[in-house]
Amino acid sequence: MSNPIGSRVEQLAQSLAEHIVPLIVDAIDIDAILDKVDIDQIVSRVDVDKIVERVDVEKIVERVDIQKIIERVDINAIVDEIDIDALVEQTELGSIIARSTTGVLTEILDVIRSQGVGLDDFILRWGNRLIGRGRRLATWPDGPPLLVKPKVAAS
Amino acid sequence: MPAAEMTVGRQGHYAGAASRIVAFAADIGASWGLYTLGVALLNAAIKLITGRSFTLTNHQGVAFIVLVVWEFFYFTYQWAVSGKTLGMAVFGLQVVTKEGGPIKPGQAVRRTIGLAVTLFLTVGIGFLGIVFQRERRALDDFIAGTAVVYDWDARAARLRWIARKEGPHPQGQQVGRAA
Repeated sequence: MSNPIGSRVEQLAQSLAEHIVPLIVDAIDIDAILDKVDIDQIVSRVDVDKIVERVDVEKIVERVDIQKIIERVDINAIVDEIDIDALVEQTELGSIIARSTTGVLTEILDVIRSQGVGLDDFILRWGNRLIGRGRRLATWPDGPPLLVKPKVAAS
Repeated sequence: MPAAEMTVGRQGHYAGAASRIVAFAADIGASWGLYTLGVALLNAAIKLITGRSFTLTNHQGVAFIVLVVWEFFYFTYQWAVSGKTLGMAVFGLQVVTKEGGPIKPGQAVRRTIGLAVTLFLTVGIGFLGIVFQRERRALDDFIAGTAVVYDWDARAARLRWIARKEGPHPQGQQVGRAA
């Protein structure tokens, strides 16, 4: 059988606590208390090595979905950031490429073709400048649509 | 070392006048040389078989017809098979459709006929489109529905230049895009 007086007292105590506890909490200046606490001292007393020893890193790594992370990484953006010219200039990659692909004929062809491209540009530029269409060149397509992305019109 | 804008990323771009004219001149030289070699072999073969001296060039009409047929075959066959002639292969050029795809044999035939028309009927004026037309197309390109683009791997060429220029590097240098 339950004691009616005890139950009443319990209800009263609960009601008092509900009113008093928020008042006390509001009255406490948490910032002032934190200012008095030396966090550095507390941290210095923590034995991080002991905590790390208790952590099962392998278990955590197993739970990481590497594939999902890789999918979220923009590889193209990373590759775009790489300066290929500098890479060839400053690493052994350059001499490897040179050894593996350069022949006398290749070298001659590279020179002839690049000179040709330079001369092509010169003739195109000056030919159109002479008839007053030099500015239009900027709007001309660089190549057929299947091979070269169309130029984006300047706003 | 050539400037990057002259090499890197030019693959697939419309080819200009100088490259195309020099490639065409190389083709005329190559086809003429092969024709001369063929005629010499033919003369020698006839002499060997019949024992009588034969010179094709003494028969002007026949020689002209053979030359025309040979030139037609030389250009048409190579364009139909790979989109490029010997001269174009040396100078890194390729004939493509105006959209950029591989050309069909019919287009190769039309382009060869168009080339003759541009050369002889317009006295070369039809070639001015290479400089003044927005897609750098000459009259023979319009007749065949084609365009000429750079086909050589310019990026690899630039890397070869850099590699030749620099050689082995001092160890431990950082590589990254310049700010």
